[in-house]
Amino acid sequence: MSAPPLPRRRLAPGKVAAAVVCAVALSAATTSADPPVSLFGGRLRLAGEVSGTLGSDDPGYFNYSDYAVSRLRLFRIDLSAELRIASAVAVLTDVRTDNLDTPRVYALFLRLTPWRERAVDLQAGLVPPVFGAFARQRYGYDDPLPSLPLVYQYLTILRYDSVPARAEDLVLRRGRGWEVAYPVGASDPETGLPVIAGERYDTGVQLRLGRAPVSAALALTQGSLSYPLVHDINGGKQVSARVAFTPGPALVVGVSAASGEWLSRDLVAVVPAGSSWPSGRRQDALGVDVQWSAGYWVLRGEAVWSRWGMPAIAETLITEPLPALGAFAEARYKIRPGLYAAARLEHLGFGSIDSALGRQTWEANVSRVEAGLGWTPLRHLLLKASWQHDQRDGGRVRRSDLFAGQALLWF
Amino acid sequence: MVLRATATLLALGLLAQPAPPPRRGSTIRGRVELRHDPSGAELRPAVTELGSHGPHDPPDRRRSVVYLESAPQPAFAEPQPRRATLDQRNESFVPYVLAITVGSTVDFPNSDRTYHNVFSLSKARSFDLGRYPRGQSRSVRFDQPGVVRVFCEIHSHMSAWILVFAHPYFAATDAEGRYRIDGVPPGSYTLAAWNDGAVRARREVRVGADGEPVDAEFSLD
Repeated sequence: MSAPPLPRRRLAPGKVAAAVVCAVALSAATTSADPPVSLFGGRLRLAGEVSGTLGSDDPGYFNYSDYAVSRLRLFRIDLSAELRIASAVAVLTDVRTDNLDTPRVYALFLRLTPWRERAVDLQAGLVPPVFGAFARQRYGYDDPLPSLPLVYQYLTILRYDSVPARAEDLVLRRGRGWEVAYPVGASDPETGLPVIAGERYDTGVQLRLGRAPVSAALALTQGSLSYPLVHDINGGKQVSARVAFTPGPALVVGVSAASGEWLSRDLVAVVPAGSSWPSGRRQDALGVDVQWSAGYWVLRGEAVWSRWGMPAIAETLITEPLPALGAFAEARYKIRPGLYAAARLEHLGFGSIDSALGRQTWEANVSRVEAGLGWTPLRHLLLKASWQHDQRDGGRVRRSDLFAGQALLWF
Repeated sequence: MVLRATATLLALGLLAQPAPPPRRGSTIRGRVELRHDPSGAELRPAVTELGSHGPHDPPDRRRSVVYLESAPQPAFAEPQPRRATLDQRNESFVPYVLAITVGSTVDFPNSDRTYHNVFSLSKARSFDLGRYPRGQSRSVRFDQPGVVRVFCEIHSHMSAWILVFAHPYFAATDAEGRYRIDGVPPGSYTLAAWNDGAVRARREVRVGADGEPVDAEFSLD
């Protein structure tokens, strides 16, 4: 499987015009409708989002995803469908196109609900993640701000197909996750991996048990949190789980864990003989997510701890897994009907390692504060505007103040 | 377009007629038959969820409202505000259609275990009641005639209609589609049948001074 392409695309004016026409037509067709588009007597239901985000230039690549597009300069059409084959069997899919590129299948899975009265579901295919809470939100509508949280989007200097030979290789690339390569493995510079890929689903099976006050989900999938996969690249499997506790309607607390092999077999094959794997080849992660809401307030927060195993190839050896801790807190307050204010405060920090350059974090820590407004002039139209400040203790660009506006239509 | 016309008509306070109202009027009654099946899919595809959505009640889209598009002028001078309830039950607004007079207050109790967040962006009355749990209620007073669309911010499949009239000559249909408008003064009127967001049919009716009830049936496509 090839890595995502580099972030060098520009939008053609024709595509932009086509996109605008598409959005206007779509909105005209859907703003008056309330139920989803339904065909074949309700067996097939369609829904979607069309969004356009226009923001400041982001020379520090703070908002680039592993699909090599900036979240602040993105036109997205997202269509989802559910085909009910029988009362207990349904097929669900989600197809997206970013900046009118070739559409890609984001989700495609079979959902089995064997008992009507029991909250037990089995899903198989390209399935939504069970880890954490944010990645299962609808792309634009549930996110009060145009950006994604750092822990779900920010590109670290890790790659699944290329690794540093020594600790110095790693720390010299701190803060350059948008384009990184190492001496061992694939040599072409590519985007690094986020802690959790919020823009990809993984392939496998998952089981959901129970509803409030206690529910659980368990998944066995091909990839890892950082690099969910359609095709296997290493023969390993990821096990992930989340238990959610909902003592009342105001509060939801979730605890998540995941462990999966994340390095490709092609890479492992080219690791020099004599190297060792003292920290293994897995990505392990633990997470806590909390949501509290009442009246006009919604507060959300997540904390994710993750570590990645690495080969120890040459001095200075990397002998410990590389750890990271990301957290964000988000608040939304409704000022008046259709108008809200929101803010998100986040930090993504990395553990320290020893190298000939001294002891320092293996990747540059990054922090972000973002605040904005959301306005719903029509029920199916959401407009957002935000200011974002990013700060990083490494890389060429260490600070950025970015502005963004987003228009989102959903149906 | 039909909906907008209806809303405008209502917002203008309808078309007043100069005739004074008698002490007792006649009844217009009948039945609204729907020739189409108004039920349909309510839930959007839940691709991001880990399982199927829990049970919920679909809205009763068969409910219609029949009203006089014009009314005697004194009817506007004597509004009869009342208190009504739009419940939130099994992830559905009950009733799906509520018809009230100007000045009425609607209670929005939450009867579900989950949160709801009732809101409306309608010009006739915009409001947002925030999130509140089971057993609690919020109220909204409607001081302007018009059509108000009500939604839940958390559950996109929940919606309801509130029709706010400037006169008392209207009625919502029951489960069998029957309606009854009492106390209508003698005169000639345009009777409108509204269903699920639009006026679907109109017909002219004449109410005599003899007090005899007038039957008016509707069959809506």
